[in-house]
Amino acid sequence: MSSTTRTINGEAVTIRLAMKMEDSLHAFAIRAATFIGELDVPYSEEFDGHDFSATHVIAYVGNEPVGTIRMRWLQSFAMPERLAVIQRFRGHDIGGLLLERCRLLAQGRGCSTLYLQAPPADVKYFEKQGWHCLAAEEAGGRLVAMARAVDPDKPLTEVETPAAIAAGRERRAAIEPKIV
Amino acid sequence: MTVTKTAVPSLEPVVTIKLAATSDEMLECFALRAAVFMGEQHCPYDEEFDGNDYTATHVVMYVDGEPAGSMRLRWFQSFCKFERCVVLRRYRALGLHHQLNAWCKEFARRKGYTKAYVHLQKRHLPMMEKEGFRPVDDRIFNFSDHEYYAVYCDLVPPEDAVTLETMPMVVNRPEDRLDEEGVLEKSALRGATNPHVHVERRAN
Repeated sequence: MSSTTRTINGEAVTIRLAMKMEDSLHAFAIRAATFIGELDVPYSEEFDGHDFSATHVIAYVGNEPVGTIRMRWLQSFAMPERLAVIQRFRGHDIGGLLLERCRLLAQGRGCSTLYLQAPPADVKYFEKQGWHCLAAEEAGGRLVAMARAVDPDKPLTEVETPAAIAAGRERRAAIEPKIV
Repeated sequence: MTVTKTAVPSLEPVVTIKLAATSDEMLECFALRAAVFMGEQHCPYDEEFDGNDYTATHVVMYVDGEPAGSMRLRWFQSFCKFERCVVLRRYRALGLHHQLNAWCKEFARRKGYTKAYVHLQKRHLPMMEKEGFRPVDDRIFNFSDHEYYAVYCDLVPPEDAVTLETMPMVVNRPEDRLDEEGVLEKSALRGATNPHVHVERRAN
């Protein structure tokens, strides 16, 4: 669907939504390679039951599926999670392209807030991508709640965001290492 | 033919091996292969998922209920090919691939096969020789960055291996449980009303 002008080794980088069974398998294989294969996450935690109610966004280099992210939709926010890029293709900001596609997707649906949970080591990465940390209670814990406005020109107010998110929070949502 | 190893109470992991019979179980097999071949060995997606997955039989192995290993079997006239054998890194020290191999050999024997065939990386040859595999010939070939031999082992089909003489309803059973009554045998209790016998065949 949407393509960028970016290329890696002469191959075009394309970001697409999963539309067919085979596309979902691309997303699942990339996550299995990174989370189960590299980080030893158990299968049952990686494939947590949300995969068939979510939107899967996939990055291709030429025809090879190399990155993916999963978007879950809640009333008060959209939640990008399970961001993974195959090791050989890291360092090209494919993660940034996937996150931007998520933002545009949320914008198209009229969402105002994006929310995610990041391990402390990844907070700086997301801050560079325009995210900010939320509740202080999360700091120092296993995961840090972060949010950003879908439209950068309409920043979220400090007051409304954390409360709205706390209300809709699914606490055991994910163990969310990002691999980009 | 599900193999369950239990000792009560015990710290021994419970290992279960079964035919992947649902799309969830097939996804488990695919995810395990992606973890090992794409994640650890950096195999490109379309070399790992090569177009033969929907013409093959998939076998999944669980350790304490968690998907831990997988094998793909393809069926040729004179042999069964064992391929895409994986055990997740965290379970690898347990030597579970021997159980997985044994299960697959038993499965192929019961279906009447007399040979199991494997493309083996050279480093794995001593391990598989212990299981009775030996090189087909001295050809060495390579794909996906590794050198391979073709090896095989003889299988002795059991007396009740499936043949043309086997009871028809046994052939219809789930293939990893040929000794248990299958769902179609239960349906036989309904009798044969031949419901479509009166449907007019439309002329072409």
